[in-house]
Amino acid sequence: MATSVISANLPPNIDPTKATMAYGNGALRRLNRELQDTENMLTRQKAVKALCDYLHDHEHVAAAIHEGIVVSLKSLLRDTDVTCRQLSTMCFYVISQHSVGREAILDTGTIEPLSALFEDAEDICRRNAHMAIEMLSEVPFGADGIVQAALVPKLIEKVKSEHDEIKEYILDTLHFCLIVNTQDALKAHGMEVFTSLLASNLATIRAKAARDIMDLSVPLDGKDKAVEVGTVPALIGLLGDNASAVRANAAGALSFIAVTTQGKYTALNADCVNPLLPLVNDPNSEVRVNALKVVTCLAEAPEGRKILTGHVEQIRQLESDEITNVRKHAEIAVRVITWRP
Amino acid sequence: MATALAQQPNEGNTYTFSSQPRAVPNRRKYRDQFAQQNSDEVPHHGNLMYDRRVIRGNTYSQHVLPAVAQPDPVEIQRQQEMRRRAMARKRAREQLRPKSPEAVEGRKHIDIQTELYLEELADRIEEADVQCQTDDFLDRPPSPLFVPAKSGEDKETQILDNELFNFDIEVKPILEVLVGKTIEQSLLEVCGEEELANLRAQQRAFEELRNAELVEQQRLEEQDRRHREEKARRVQQQREVQEKERETANKIAARAFAQSYLADLVPSVFGTLAEHGYFYDPVERDVESGFLPWLVDAVNTDIDSSVRARALLDGLLREVIRDRHTAYRALETRIEQQRMAEEDRRAMVDPSAAAASETQSQPRDEDENDAMANLEATGAPGDAPDADADDSAAAKEAEDAGDADAEGEADGEGEADADGGDGEDEN
Repeated sequence: MATSVISANLPPNIDPTKATMAYGNGALRRLNRELQDTENMLTRQKAVKALCDYLHDHEHVAAAIHEGIVVSLKSLLRDTDVTCRQLSTMCFYVISQHSVGREAILDTGTIEPLSALFEDAEDICRRNAHMAIEMLSEVPFGADGIVQAALVPKLIEKVKSEHDEIKEYILDTLHFCLIVNTQDALKAHGMEVFTSLLASNLATIRAKAARDIMDLSVPLDGKDKAVEVGTVPALIGLLGDNASAVRANAAGALSFIAVTTQGKYTALNADCVNPLLPLVNDPNSEVRVNALKVVTCLAEAPEGRKILTGHVEQIRQLESDEITNVRKHAEIAVRVITWRP
Repeated sequence: MATALAQQPNEGNTYTFSSQPRAVPNRRKYRDQFAQQNSDEVPHHGNLMYDRRVIRGNTYSQHVLPAVAQPDPVEIQRQQEMRRRAMARKRAREQLRPKSPEAVEGRKHIDIQTELYLEELADRIEEADVQCQTDDFLDRPPSPLFVPAKSGEDKETQILDNELFNFDIEVKPILEVLVGKTIEQSLLEVCGEEELANLRAQQRAFEELRNAELVEQQRLEEQDRRHREEKARRVQQQREVQEKERETANKIAARAFAQSYLADLVPSVFGTLAEHGYFYDPVERDVESGFLPWLVDAVNTDIDSSVRARALLDGLLREVIRDRHTAYRALETRIEQQRMAEEDRRAMVDPSAAAASETQSQPRDEDENDAMANLEATGAPGDAPDADADDSAAAKEAEDAGDADAEGEADGEGEADADGGDGEDEN
């Protein structure tokens, strides 16, 4: 028999944590108004939650920036409520996936309040903030903005103590920042920190730390610092790693360090050649290329050439590799090894 | 009893069970609430489900069976004691429970029904004549809600299925919207993530190329730098060698020059020294420095004395000449007067005096010659030119003779000249 009982439970299709959306163009206007509601925390929470899903559409991102949502979100970053903070950082992450969004974030100077959240007590807030910053750093002008905000020393300080998940984001951010500027990181003892991270349990962290070392050793100061800190033996230890990304980045970093005479001899004294030779036939092309570059650099030193002369045949086989880049660098390597004064 | 009998120790390890026959007890409809309390009277079933020796559940937490079949009398006594104590405690708790106050005099409390629907209270158990073999005793189910019998009239309307509300149809659009929205949202997010992943992959591929090229570039730079340094070093070395060679050549040349220079140094030094008179004849030097000045001095004094003597002689001569001059003047005037007197006389005597005068001139010459002769005789003006010549000769001599005394000489000479001049004028 039909009864007219109204259930106390809400229907399953309504999310009580989300604000209801106004129709069409009014949606963002209303959300923006609700975001600025300083009276009711619940309103803000609901609005920011709804916004978080709403922003996944590209068109909505542009419209939201036009509506001035970014400014409202920026003030929401300092909210006392954890949910507001973490959802607003999430919104920034979504916004920063788009070019217009990144520009808007830089224009409104949101980097500073976002970086203030690095100190937040809540893990999720910190994680989202780092995700947003990482996404921002992927383009050169974003990385430039981060470097100008002097976040690099702070990030290096953070990478020592953060959770592993957040460490990955920080290492990514630093990677992009280091392409722009390496001096700050070198001054903040970046090389020591990255070297200590090479001993991490997680393969991704090892790979990213090795990649950051590679970025850091692009200038001459970085190479000298790497030799001084003893990064080379740690990198050589990673050449036999199980993860191909780790091998590739470790070989890449070694190739940069081995450019200088000092770096070459440090690598040769640490017996770099033996673990390196199997990498020349690695299934991953990046590993092959980087290993070939290390071989090329080491072959410039007379001692290295003497050792490598016995393995020319192995490298010569790569001259018929299916990847152009590998072929090219194999030819260079063979030329350098067989060079006679 | 039955259970006790069952626990016969057996030689074999197989479990056997035996039980004495007994009457089926009177069964009740519901489980007796107090059955547990006097469970001793209730015979045990030979049901494996309740057999304590069959282990059920987790064997880790099993209770250990007593070692002996018969329970320990002390243990039994203790258990009874505990049970008694529990009863006493329960009783005491019941007494302590708050109760309604005692009834007033002449009244007494009775139990009445206060429920909404009254019913006869009877303790009589319904004896039904139904027999069935239940599987198991069930807990008594809760009494269903009592609904009193309906009164009044009933009206009915027949509504067939799907006539008013078809859930499937009604729910379809809503469900479609919901699913569509969810899928759209998730699709957007997945697309975004996929795009990011693609971008990252592309970026990684690019970085692979870029890093390799960067290393190559740096390697070449480094190589170039080393070559440059090497070249600079070589050039430097070469330059040093050249410098050294030049230095050596210079040294050799200097040495040769010095040797050749020094070779004729000694003779030239001696020559120059000899030229400059460092090697001299002592006798010659003595003559030059000691004798000659003395000689000059001596000559000077000699000449001085002769000059002085001549000056003196000049004075003497001048004196004499002046005297002679005055004497001649006087003589001349006397001669003139004589002649005048003669002429006056002649003029008075003859007119042919003219011829006479010519002849007379001769005698006057003769007179004059006579006078001259007189003068010469007295030692005479004719000497004066000689003296002059002597003077000049002496001066010339003095000039030739002395260098240093030339001035002194000149004074003397000047005087001598002046004297000589005077002498000539007067002549």
